[in-house]
Amino acid sequence: MEFLNPAALLGLFALPLLLIPYLVRRKPRRLVFSSLLLFLEGGASASRPLGRLHLPPIFFLQLLLLALLIFALSEPVFSVRPTSIAIVLDNSASMQALEDGKTRMAAAAEKAAAIAAELGPAGKIDLYTTTPRLQRSGAAPFGPVEAGAAIRSVSANDLGDPPVDYSEALGRLLRERQYQRVYLITDHPAGAQGAALRVISVGAPKANLALTAFQVRRSSLGNAQLEASATLRNFSDRDEKIKITIRGDGAALASREVLARADKALDIDFAGLPERTAYLAEIDARDALPLDNRRFAAAPASRNLRILAVTPRPQAAASLRSIPGVSVEAIAPGDYPKTERAGYGLEIFQFAAPESLPDNPALFILPPERNFLAEPGAPAGNPQVSNWRESSTLTRYINFSLFRPAYARPLKPRTAGEVIVESSAGPLAFSLERKGLRYLVLGFDPLPYLGRENLPMSIFTLNFLDWFFESAAARSQATGEPIALGAIRAGDEIVLPTGEKITLKTGSDYFFDTYRQGIYQRRRGNEIEVYARNLADTAESDLRNPAPIAIQDSAQSQAGGSTLFSFWPYLLLASLLLFLLEWFINPRPVARGLRGRQTV
Amino acid sequence: MLPEPFTPNFLTRLETLRLRTRKEFLGSQTGSYSSPRRGTSLEFSDYRRYAPGDDLRYLDWGIYARTDRLYVKVFREEVDLFAYVFIDASASMAFPSLGAKYRPATHVALALSYVILANHDHVKLHLLQNTPRAPVSPFYRGRRRMADCIDFATAVTPAGTLDLAASLTEHLQRLRRPGKAILISDFLMPAAAYQQGLNLLRGSNLDIAAIQILSREEVEPSFPAGSLALIDSETEREVRYQWSAGARQDYQARLAHHNLEIRSFCHQSGIHYSLYVTDRDLGDFIFATLPAIGLFK
Repeated sequence: MEFLNPAALLGLFALPLLLIPYLVRRKPRRLVFSSLLLFLEGGASASRPLGRLHLPPIFFLQLLLLALLIFALSEPVFSVRPTSIAIVLDNSASMQALEDGKTRMAAAAEKAAAIAAELGPAGKIDLYTTTPRLQRSGAAPFGPVEAGAAIRSVSANDLGDPPVDYSEALGRLLRERQYQRVYLITDHPAGAQGAALRVISVGAPKANLALTAFQVRRSSLGNAQLEASATLRNFSDRDEKIKITIRGDGAALASREVLARADKALDIDFAGLPERTAYLAEIDARDALPLDNRRFAAAPASRNLRILAVTPRPQAAASLRSIPGVSVEAIAPGDYPKTERAGYGLEIFQFAAPESLPDNPALFILPPERNFLAEPGAPAGNPQVSNWRESSTLTRYINFSLFRPAYARPLKPRTAGEVIVESSAGPLAFSLERKGLRYLVLGFDPLPYLGRENLPMSIFTLNFLDWFFESAAARSQATGEPIALGAIRAGDEIVLPTGEKITLKTGSDYFFDTYRQGIYQRRRGNEIEVYARNLADTAESDLRNPAPIAIQDSAQSQAGGSTLFSFWPYLLLASLLLFLLEWFINPRPVARGLRGRQTV
Repeated sequence: MLPEPFTPNFLTRLETLRLRTRKEFLGSQTGSYSSPRRGTSLEFSDYRRYAPGDDLRYLDWGIYARTDRLYVKVFREEVDLFAYVFIDASASMAFPSLGAKYRPATHVALALSYVILANHDHVKLHLLQNTPRAPVSPFYRGRRRMADCIDFATAVTPAGTLDLAASLTEHLQRLRRPGKAILISDFLMPAAAYQQGLNLLRGSNLDIAAIQILSREEVEPSFPAGSLALIDSETEREVRYQWSAGARQDYQARLAHHNLEIRSFCHQSGIHYSLYVTDRDLGDFIFATLPAIGLFK
């Protein structure tokens, strides 16, 4: 016999609460008597305040009723041994959490292996993993013996849970593949269970400390100084004093001891870091999940910002070369499709626009009429800026009363973005972010760069260059995010964090297998590019209250032949009958005229 | 109007009774009770030598013939009786109701009073309460004062606590003549308390009778089984009690022991004692029980 909702059995612990009404009912009846002389002579046993609790037979009937009800709520089923099952193993990052010296993944594998072993020799098992997506391992179903080996070979990825409605996904699996039973083994608590869809939970809530963000960047464009920032989150209910260390290429560069407040995040900044290929931030916590105690970052891009200017007026774009650290290559708009664009930190489209958003951050200056970004309005001379976005890198230090572009066309955005500068006739600048890349559309021309001769516009120019530079440093580094490969030459390879080398094949645009946290090196001859990938889902680090997985009734109602015989409805019926019996035999509460004192 | 039990037949039967005393008292008038003094009753008491001036009618000529000496026969003096009926009027006497305990107690007192009044003796009713001037009636004499007795006894509602010794002390201070004292109470008080009170009566040269009044509820409590918060009717003290058949047996055993102690003390102290459970027939108690203990001649 099994229980589909074993949590309901915890209700048995609440059974003693049934005594409460009897204890309350024992509240003594107040009666006046002529003299208590003889009662006081009775001694301690007679005047014992509680005395012996006399429980009437109805109490035991009610106890039986409640026990049956709880038993029914736990949905007991008699199961028949199935022959075709699916085991879905949660292999998200939190499954690497340690429970009594072994990982949750190992515990899940044991449970899965036990389930597989329970099947007879004719049993067929399909094994699924949840990350990076719900997918089947192996093309053909496993027998019980092969399934054991396959289960042991599954390891947890450094990825968060996929945004999957398990109830629906497993229900579809059950329906389409005609499994007799589907098991999901996860570290999420099991909510309501199904007869054929079963959620088996491993692990218990645990406190955890996690580095949830780590970046190394230049303080500003052209600045040689490196600074790092890390975010430490304390997923526990007590304060923790912890040491955080920054390492570069294996050597410790800086460390600090910090106090992480309970259930709070703490930002820690380090400045003056030396230039290294890769950086590692780690905390010396010995908590449940070691994975999130470390976080990696690649060295920030070169101090130089390479700009590809797509413009009919290359001289104006070339004026940016006067800014230290900026290099500009100008091409005509017609040459853009043929140009290799990898390696540029910024693409500037002056009076031009590509057919789609470029793969690099881009600045669009006065885009032509037919573009997908914005519709230019009527031209205006020296428009007065009426509004601008406060506390933005793009608008800092600018005196907008002096900011008077000689020629401007207000923009009507055709895509969702954020207006940065606005005149009375409409937006003059708006920004957007797609796939982690920043784009800026201007309704005026900040070029040529004139330095001190047009100070407000020069400040704006430096601001947007900084803004694009920031974006290069702040690119997402989440595990599972593919690495753009660009052109591949023979012999190019990727070195995984484990040290394994994978030779790249021509024709591949992306390297997808970035499911492990760490530093990935892309080797192109002697040239090495470094990419950091880190666990991005903070929910994986919070091991205290993972969301329960509940299987909806609708998910299993469409399942094939169930191997379970549910008899809880009969228990429910029995409870109802007992309730009726209790209703009839339990004496009605007597109108209490004895609330106050009563004389017998 | 006479209370219910006092039917003409009942009164007639009461008139046949006479209170018995174990002591001799000095009465105020000629009556039917022996006095320590020598008097002129028909009851021979003693002889004494003739002295000049003695009434020659009382010379015993037979002794003179045998001894040649003159002796005079001395007779007892028979006087009237002063009786004091003390009625406990504390709150416990109103339990479970006036009609179930206090009224029966007054009925006993009135019956005894009527016996006394019918014999042309004096009766005075005392209500025992813890008040500075507890109610005391004047001496009544003669049947016609029965109505006054009833008015007095029924005018008071039992209330408050009772310190028997203190209350009796106050009453005894106002007592001038020795006589018969009848104490009617539930005696639901510690042994020391009632013993002190009865000893006070003994010390006042009174011939004492104690009548214990208990209601059926006190003898056989019918509490519902379970936890009870019992409140003392006099002190309002509260006691938690787990009531059951066993507890009831325990209570009855303790009550029996308590009553036995009263009986023993009374026996040792020469006090008439009797228990009247109020659901019992009053006539039966008056005409059978009380004569049996020697309260009536």
